[in-house]
Amino acid sequence: MIFDEANFSPGGDRYITVEFGNEMNLELNFMAQGLAGALREAGTKGLVETAPCFASLLVHYEPRDISYGDMVTELKSLIGSLGSTDEIELDSRLFTFETLYLDPWTKECIDDYREKLNPDKEYDPDFVARLNGLEDRHQLVRVHSSSEYWVASLGFWPGLPFLQPLDPRAMITCPKYNPPRTWTPQGAVGMGGSASSIYPVATPGGYQLFGRTPVPIWDPNKRFDAFEGDIVLFRPGDRIKFQPVTRADYDDAERKIEDGSYLYNIVEYQRFSVRNYQSWVNKLDKSERF
Amino acid sequence: MLEIIKPGLETSIQDFPGRIGYWNQGFPPSGPMDSWSFRLGNILLGNDAGAPGLEAQFMGPTIKFQSDGVIALTGADMMSKLDGEAIPNWQSIAVKAGQTLVMGPAIKGSRGYLTVAGGIDAPNWLGSASTFHKASVGGLDGSAIQAGQVLPVKAGAGQAGRRVKEACRPIFASDKKWQIEAVAGPNDDWIDDAGHAQFLATEWKLEARSDRTGYRLDGPDWTFTEKATNKPPENGEFPSNIIDHGYPLGGINLCGQKPIILVNDGPSMGGFIVPYTVPSAAFWKLGQIKPNEFLCFNKVSVEEAQALRIALDDMCNETSIES
Repeated sequence: MIFDEANFSPGGDRYITVEFGNEMNLELNFMAQGLAGALREAGTKGLVETAPCFASLLVHYEPRDISYGDMVTELKSLIGSLGSTDEIELDSRLFTFETLYLDPWTKECIDDYREKLNPDKEYDPDFVARLNGLEDRHQLVRVHSSSEYWVASLGFWPGLPFLQPLDPRAMITCPKYNPPRTWTPQGAVGMGGSASSIYPVATPGGYQLFGRTPVPIWDPNKRFDAFEGDIVLFRPGDRIKFQPVTRADYDDAERKIEDGSYLYNIVEYQRFSVRNYQSWVNKLDKSERF
Repeated sequence: MLEIIKPGLETSIQDFPGRIGYWNQGFPPSGPMDSWSFRLGNILLGNDAGAPGLEAQFMGPTIKFQSDGVIALTGADMMSKLDGEAIPNWQSIAVKAGQTLVMGPAIKGSRGYLTVAGGIDAPNWLGSASTFHKASVGGLDGSAIQAGQVLPVKAGAGQAGRRVKEACRPIFASDKKWQIEAVAGPNDDWIDDAGHAQFLATEWKLEARSDRTGYRLDGPDWTFTEKATNKPPENGEFPSNIIDHGYPLGGINLCGQKPIILVNDGPSMGGFIVPYTVPSAAFWKLGQIKPNEFLCFNKVSVEEAQALRIALDDMCNETSIES
């Protein structure tokens, strides 16, 4: 549910958690990101930083500059000034990533897991397709690649995006691995619960895997201008589109990444209007699939 | 210039307050775990309190000085010796080019700090020199220091013979039991009364599998309120599962039934509740407790935790020093 009034609770001497609801619902994330933006613009004294998540916002403040009570009062007032979520508008960049779905590398990773940890584990794309009533793994690719994805938050690992599909016709769900994998290829694309993600580097993991992108979202050596001097590519409120490509196109992109000539496909002129988004969603027949 | 002869168990460049402002991209602040001792070490030398220095964990490094300078050792007692002569913690000491400092095992506390007049000259990564080696970020090259490396030092005129006043030094637990402050929240309403009483009555043992990302605590199982068991399915199947949310640093994160305190290199978000949070003023104790020692939690209010932090910050300045 979406709470009538946001909940505030302290995290020690310098954090406040603002909870807007207790379900997975894009509107809750719009509220969290809307409040983060309003705080930034208000320049509240004592604000250190914020971290929006699916349904909540973590606020880090300096107790020497503002008390807990005064910060809660400030947050309540800013939430009031946000009005309805329909009013929220956010700058939102759109990234397009070449993605090889049903690729050999995540297949190898799944085979390795089956061999060492769980011989009964169904091949992830078949498993996710079956759970969601799709025809086969090829429809999974069509459905997953049909939507733009909203960067709801970043965490777990620096730069790792938690993504929600903006098109409800692309909404699918699946459980996480149990036990988790000990390794995952860098750039693997997968999902757990209703969240999708890209693995920035090779790490352990628990998402069901069904694709891989060669495009780095983690650049410690600062080779690419797209990072604007940062090490991680995304910010909350960005959008991502997974563009299915052939193995030849994948290899071509990978070659360009290696020699530094790769061009990131980023659109920067758009603002995301929750009102426009909601009115589009309301027109859709959500039972349809691509 | 500091030439690393032996790196110690895991010695890293840290600065204070670390990499702040990137929590929403998943970067932890890093920085010294006992920032009280660390800051005093810098103040002894006339540095900025947060200037880059070395944090040695459990077993210290061996370092040869390539130039004259002034250093300070604070935090854990690592039985340090300069050219074979024992040297004390908590005071500034002149060193000559060619002398060798051996920091040994931590006999009291866990983390020792070596600061040098001028501070270590390490590049800033996202505004900080602090090392977060799990993601290859910070320090000289993204990792803990290694044998053969030479750490450059900025110019600085330290003065030998300055001491931290006895009353301004942290006191380490002598009976292996550490009294740690904890503030209820953000998810204290997921735990029932019996669970709260048990949390505060238990002596929690620090497990060996603890590091700068998280402190695992060994103790009894937790009990929950209805909020934990009656919730929408996207929260997850375990009582301690919640929709992924941002974690406060110091949060006592309940992974299944296992409490893990999220410390300086910890994760920024995840899907477990945080019933209590260790406030910043108690972090130095986390930095100095050893595995298999015990944590006893004392509940404090937000206001009390903030007063403790301000009092601690006020001690990290020149008023704590005598010559």
